[in-house]
Amino acid sequence: MNMHAIPQRTSAETALIDAFGERLSLLPGDGEIMVRRDEAIERLKAGLPTKRVESWHYTDLRRLLTAVPQYDGSAKAEVLSPILEGSAVLPVLNGVAATNKLPTLDGVTIQPLAEKLADGSFAAAALDLYGNDDAVGALNTAFVADGYFVDIAAGTELATPLELQNVQAGGQTHVRFPVRIGKGARVTVLERQAGEGTALASSVSQLLVGDDAEVLWLIEQEQADTATHLAQFKASLGKNAKLTLFVMNTGGKLVRQEIIVDAAGEGSVFTLRGVNLLAGDTHTDVTMVLDHSVPHTTSTEVVRYVITDKAQGVFQGRINVAQKAQKTDAKMACNTLLLSDDGEFSVKPELEIFADDVQCGHGATVTEINHDHLFYLMARGVDEKTARGLLVKAFVAEVIEELEDEALVDALEARIETWFATHG
Amino acid sequence: MLEIKNLHARIAEDGTEIIRGLNLTVKAGEVAAIMGPNGSGKSTLSYVLAGREDYEVTEGEILYNGESILEMDPAERAASGIFLAFQYPMEIPGVATMEFLKVAMNAQRKARGEEPLTIPEFLKRVKAAAGTLDMDMAMLKRPLNVGFSGGEKKRAEILQMKLLQPKLCVLDETDSGLDIDALKIVADGVNALRSPDRAIVVITHYQRLLEHIVPDTVHVLYKGQVIKSGDKSLAMELEANGYAGIIEEAA
Amino acid sequence: MPAVQETIDQVRKIDVDQYKYGFETEIEMDKAPKGLNEDIIRLISAKKDEPEWMLEWRLGAFRRWMTLEEPKWARVQYPEIDFQDIHYYAAPKSTPGPTSLDEVDPELLRTYEKLGIPLREQEILAGVQKPAASELEEANDNVYKSGRVAVDAVFDSVSVVTTFKKELAQAGVIFCSISEAIREHPELVKKYLGSVVPTTDNYYATLNSAVFTDGSFVFVPKGVRCPMELSTYFRINEKGTGQFERTLIIAEEGSYVSYLEGCTAPQRDENQLHAAVVELIALDDAEIKYSTVQNWYPGDAEGKGGIYNFVTKRGDCRGDRSKISWTQVETGSAITWKYPSCILRGDDSQGEFYSIAVSNGYQQIDSGTKMIHLGKNTTSRVISKGIAAGFSQNTYRGQISAHRKATNARNFTNCDSLLIGDQCGAHTVPYIEAKNSTAQFEHEATTSKISEDQKFYVMQRGIPEEEAIALIVNGFVKDVIQELPMEFAVEAQKLIGISLEGSVG
Repeated sequence: MNMHAIPQRTSAETALIDAFGERLSLLPGDGEIMVRRDEAIERLKAGLPTKRVESWHYTDLRRLLTAVPQYDGSAKAEVLSPILEGSAVLPVLNGVAATNKLPTLDGVTIQPLAEKLADGSFAAAALDLYGNDDAVGALNTAFVADGYFVDIAAGTELATPLELQNVQAGGQTHVRFPVRIGKGARVTVLERQAGEGTALASSVSQLLVGDDAEVLWLIEQEQADTATHLAQFKASLGKNAKLTLFVMNTGGKLVRQEIIVDAAGEGSVFTLRGVNLLAGDTHTDVTMVLDHSVPHTTSTEVVRYVITDKAQGVFQGRINVAQKAQKTDAKMACNTLLLSDDGEFSVKPELEIFADDVQCGHGATVTEINHDHLFYLMARGVDEKTARGLLVKAFVAEVIEELEDEALVDALEARIETWFATHG
Repeated sequence: MLEIKNLHARIAEDGTEIIRGLNLTVKAGEVAAIMGPNGSGKSTLSYVLAGREDYEVTEGEILYNGESILEMDPAERAASGIFLAFQYPMEIPGVATMEFLKVAMNAQRKARGEEPLTIPEFLKRVKAAAGTLDMDMAMLKRPLNVGFSGGEKKRAEILQMKLLQPKLCVLDETDSGLDIDALKIVADGVNALRSPDRAIVVITHYQRLLEHIVPDTVHVLYKGQVIKSGDKSLAMELEANGYAGIIEEAA
Repeated sequence: MPAVQETIDQVRKIDVDQYKYGFETEIEMDKAPKGLNEDIIRLISAKKDEPEWMLEWRLGAFRRWMTLEEPKWARVQYPEIDFQDIHYYAAPKSTPGPTSLDEVDPELLRTYEKLGIPLREQEILAGVQKPAASELEEANDNVYKSGRVAVDAVFDSVSVVTTFKKELAQAGVIFCSISEAIREHPELVKKYLGSVVPTTDNYYATLNSAVFTDGSFVFVPKGVRCPMELSTYFRINEKGTGQFERTLIIAEEGSYVSYLEGCTAPQRDENQLHAAVVELIALDDAEIKYSTVQNWYPGDAEGKGGIYNFVTKRGDCRGDRSKISWTQVETGSAITWKYPSCILRGDDSQGEFYSIAVSNGYQQIDSGTKMIHLGKNTTSRVISKGIAAGFSQNTYRGQISAHRKATNARNFTNCDSLLIGDQCGAHTVPYIEAKNSTAQFEHEATTSKISEDQKFYVMQRGIPEEEAIALIVNGFVKDVIQELPMEFAVEAQKLIGISLEGSVG
């Protein structure tokens, strides 16, 4: 958060502080949880981060967050049909867990977060902020009202994916999904961020991935192009745990998706794949901080952006390798197609390395469509527009096709088709 | 010249024992072939001889000209005349092959208390040696092994061997990745180095190389031990019947 | 494989105890009292016999500086600097202005002899001997042919001698101290000083603008290819002084100049401040090549003492098809904060940055470059090689940006780091910003250690461990070394060798 004294609050800052006063009595949890909420709102009172705060250098939240919508309790959101047919859907509608529709699954305990916050069984420390620039965490901790607590027992192998569905209906929503994945469990989770209206949504997913567990977690963000979406994904990996995180951003007006992963168990493997399709006058920021804390951990990240219109894309990726994390193998790549003269893209891939026996690298490219490829296609009689479309789709499809689940690949490719049909 | 007694060696990192009580004697002037199936410890033996830190000798002794070399680091062993031609020679980016040859030759001369070579003398020697191996001087200006083909790398190994004039040469799978022409050039290079005061240990999986470098003795390595020794006819027998028979016989 | 314990122990011992330039020269000095205020600035300006406009320029900068805060964003840590506890002016008493070497204090000349600087004209005329080893580098065509170098020597705050002035003057090249330029060529200084690094630029640059005492000035007129290398050797000698030199190089249309800079300081147990500003201006079709070998005292084995090196270096490719190339070998200083940059203003202009940064002991380096693409069809290239050993922290920080109108901007960046031992850190912080769809940026970075396989291979050929590491490291930095003029390349390679001496058991 900004260390400098803020001379005058912006209207957004004022609105958030006022909203806290109004909502306070309605927020679940007391005692330690209330202490966390108070600390969080104090951070917000010190001002939203500006570009002078290093981790917000390319997303000046204080400047970009121009308005904060009111809470709208009367607005209705509907459950969406899941991305993958047959998924077990856990809906949160306009910020409230829809408990009448909960599936039952062997080995999976599901509890609405409002309940868990209220009954005192939620560990308040889970609401602690990450570092002193955690504006997304602070916003969510201050206001979080619901979501789901999901506990997956050791050894559980879920045949059906879980879909966490967070559907906005305009107004503010602040939800959280604490998920504990037991030793050796294997699960696929789809985190769906969708909805309509001028929403301000904060959403935090926090995972504890047990030893030997294997998790595929997919974040599909398809908010309305009037929505502000501030999200955080946090995970800690146990021994030999494997986490594959796939992030797809195709919506939102102002989007910040933070990814904070700690490869805390020896032999753990983290894989990040991202596809970001940006159009209109929007701003999308994916910021990752990855800690390699122990020896013998591996990570690879491939994040791609397609930028059209006046959109602004940001990728910040920091890989920290602790002194004892020998034999770390970490590779990060960010590739961007900047397709319009009014678009902008900024990337900051950082390596912070304190161990000597490591193989770490990162690459970043910002380019146009490859002219040779374009020429080749056109020489085969494909018109320029079609040829460009093919090449751009191929550029993102490369990332998606790495997902081995065919149904999932098809579902995502269909969504990309839709996006190109609307924005291409 | 080389006497290995009851040698036990393991991978330092995880303690896996690879060499398990190996005995071997190679005399000056002798060409000894070490053969064995994959995973029998052939390459490990070459690394242990050259003093690679990743392997620990837990028992036994390696005597070279009657003296133990176990306490010597790889550079000291090299300076004393032990040369390993690598199965996979390393690429050293940014270091021209010529420069490397000069530094290596002069480092060994220094260790022996000799003056460094003059530039003309050095160039003369390199040109002569490269000529016999059909190597282009232009190649020697390129960084060591970087972008070299498999055959070029092996030739560069033999070139180094020729220039450094070692007493004990260990050739680790020198034939792998070579076509027949390159194999002949490399074998001729090795044969030219045969001399009464030099021992050559040829490590190979196949008999093919031994048609060109005819060994005086052949030793079969299996599970970290020499399970059978003989003359060159043993290599032929292996070629005809495979390792299975000998392994069974030894078991 | 983690580095063996001896390696680590030995790396701790390197540095510093082997800092062979750590002698002090006994010379009578003329010093300003400690502290900084307008009177001190008036004193500096008066000592330099400066015109009124220069004094006003300095005072403007000083007033600005009083309003600024020290920047804290770099990855370096040091105790607060007491800016009032520094002498802002110190000059050998033999000044002003020796007209020939015979008039220079013989102590000074001995100092430069110890530094191995070819100051004496007869030595220079004899030409720097081409080292024998270079026969092996026939492939390296980058051999500087003439072997002659014109030298400007700056001792603490004052330029004491400049060689080859007459010959340069015949070609129309002005090479003199900045003080002399202010007096003799005020129109050029007025036009260009502060035009690349304005007095308001940043904390240290602003401080420098207020208090700079000397530095070099180079002017290469239209169409002239400077007939020899120009070189400045900077040395901080006097205790408790800061060194604030200012260098200004102007290459007019179609001209070329290659400029070298070398730096050393004696061993002292207190920290000394060095805050230089270098401005380069290249007009249409001009090319400036600027090379630095920085070997300021890095502090002792415990991290005590050493130079704080806070430097602002910036080149302005003001003309079309102009080119500015920075090459640096940074092995010294306790702290280095330095980002030689290029503003690619002219169409088709080119910027280059080649860097080797070696840190050891408790050194902290935060260095890199900025390539700001403003003109059309501009290209930049960044090659950075960082080597961290001991307890040091070595950071590459760089910014590549293409503005809206910079169509077809191209950048290629490669930054590799090598770690020796597990007590040091290597960090890479690139900022890449594209605001133009025709921009093409490629960035790659790697961090690794010297591979055990490579080391074993080299040692198997009889090369002892220490030399094996030096050989591999010199291979690692080859791409940058070959950008240096020949004399500097040899010196730089030796310097890297020295800093790695005793690095293994």
